[in-house]
Amino acid sequence: MGVERYKDKTMAESVATSEMNHEAAANDRVMFGFWVYLMTDLLMFAVLFAVYAVLHGNTEGGPGGSDLFSQPLALAETLILLTSSFTCGIGMIAARRGNKNQVLVWFGITFLLGLAFLSLELQEFAEFIREGHALSSNAFFSSFFVLVGTHGLHIISGLFWMFVTLVFVLVRGLNRHLVRKLALLSLFWHFLDIVWIFIFTIVYLMAYV
Amino acid sequence: MSKLSHNTTTQPKAEHGTTVSYVIGFLLSLVFTAIPYYLVVNKTITGNSLLATILGFAVLQMSVQIFFFLHLGRGPKPLYNVAFFIATVGIILVVVLGSIFIMDHLNYNMMTPQATTTKLAQDEGISQVGGEKTGACAYIGANHQVIMMKGKITPLRTESRMCDSLTFINQDDTPRDIMFGSYPDHEVYGGETKLTVKSGHPKTITLNQLGSHLFYDPLQPDAAGYFTVTK
Repeated sequence: MGVERYKDKTMAESVATSEMNHEAAANDRVMFGFWVYLMTDLLMFAVLFAVYAVLHGNTEGGPGGSDLFSQPLALAETLILLTSSFTCGIGMIAARRGNKNQVLVWFGITFLLGLAFLSLELQEFAEFIREGHALSSNAFFSSFFVLVGTHGLHIISGLFWMFVTLVFVLVRGLNRHLVRKLALLSLFWHFLDIVWIFIFTIVYLMAYV
Repeated sequence: MSKLSHNTTTQPKAEHGTTVSYVIGFLLSLVFTAIPYYLVVNKTITGNSLLATILGFAVLQMSVQIFFFLHLGRGPKPLYNVAFFIATVGIILVVVLGSIFIMDHLNYNMMTPQATTTKLAQDEGISQVGGEKTGACAYIGANHQVIMMKGKITPLRTESRMCDSLTFINQDDTPRDIMFGSYPDHEVYGGETKLTVKSGHPKTITLNQLGSHLFYDPLQPDAAGYFTVTK
């Protein structure tokens, strides 16, 4: 049956088909490789979550999560990150359609939302530090700063990656390598959203249970 | 450029999701954020049921992200990435639940040999080890009760005799910790450093150390009481 199909095609078409298959296979390999990285990153976060779960009660008589965390702030951070995940997905649809301007707009919004999230998080950290709570204060703060801070570092690197990719899109236009890069980036961004959901639930909400 | 657009548009749609699926996913994720937030802020339910509910919503939220945003399971078959994901979740469960389980028991395992002997003797009611008194009681006398409700401890003072037992009862939904000594110091009483008392699960200690002893809730230091043990 395959032979029948190829008979009708011109030589050029069949070459193009095999090139496309080759390209698609390469894409799949890259996506899978990146997926493996994300899963190992997830394991690292799991260990940090385990550390937090074990140590969050050890405040040495100092204030704990329920005395310090602001629920509205955590909700605002969550909504911002969820929205950025959504705009990132819409931007990815535009990228697959080859619409450069829409890619710049939607990923631009994602970038700004990411910055907003980061500034809220840094504000929270700064307030804790102003009140005299540091990484070395007690086991609760060590595990809190390391868990939430590691997520924040991922957000920073994601924003940096997004900025560079957008500059490339602006200068060179959308080519298939950039579309692939954007696909990896959006995978990374959705992944950070998932990790944040667990931080929101386990760190911020469960402190008040 | 024309080759690119041809290349990208011919890929199967279902694999990447459409605007509609992103909108549905986004709305669902908002709902799954709002509900646990509302439950925690308004304390409609409390204790373990609240804990289980918000964890359940976190898992639902994760599923929404995975199916509507990451499109896991819709790629080319065989689905190695799904297999990898499931294996990862398995390892995560082992690491996280295993850590919590082990560390919960570790305080007991990190005591000095003497403290361990005292605790073991206390738990098992062994009054002598190698001909030496362990301090544990060979018999248990009268039982006294301390009831904790809404941050109040009744009675504030318990009079008891050596080898009586003291039971802490928690009538709130949230678990409470009891530490011995005065806030923020803590001391060991009868081999116990900290008692976690959950609702419906009273904790009983044997009074085998003479004198007056304070106890308090570390999260609410004004909720404190004391007991005196006489011969």
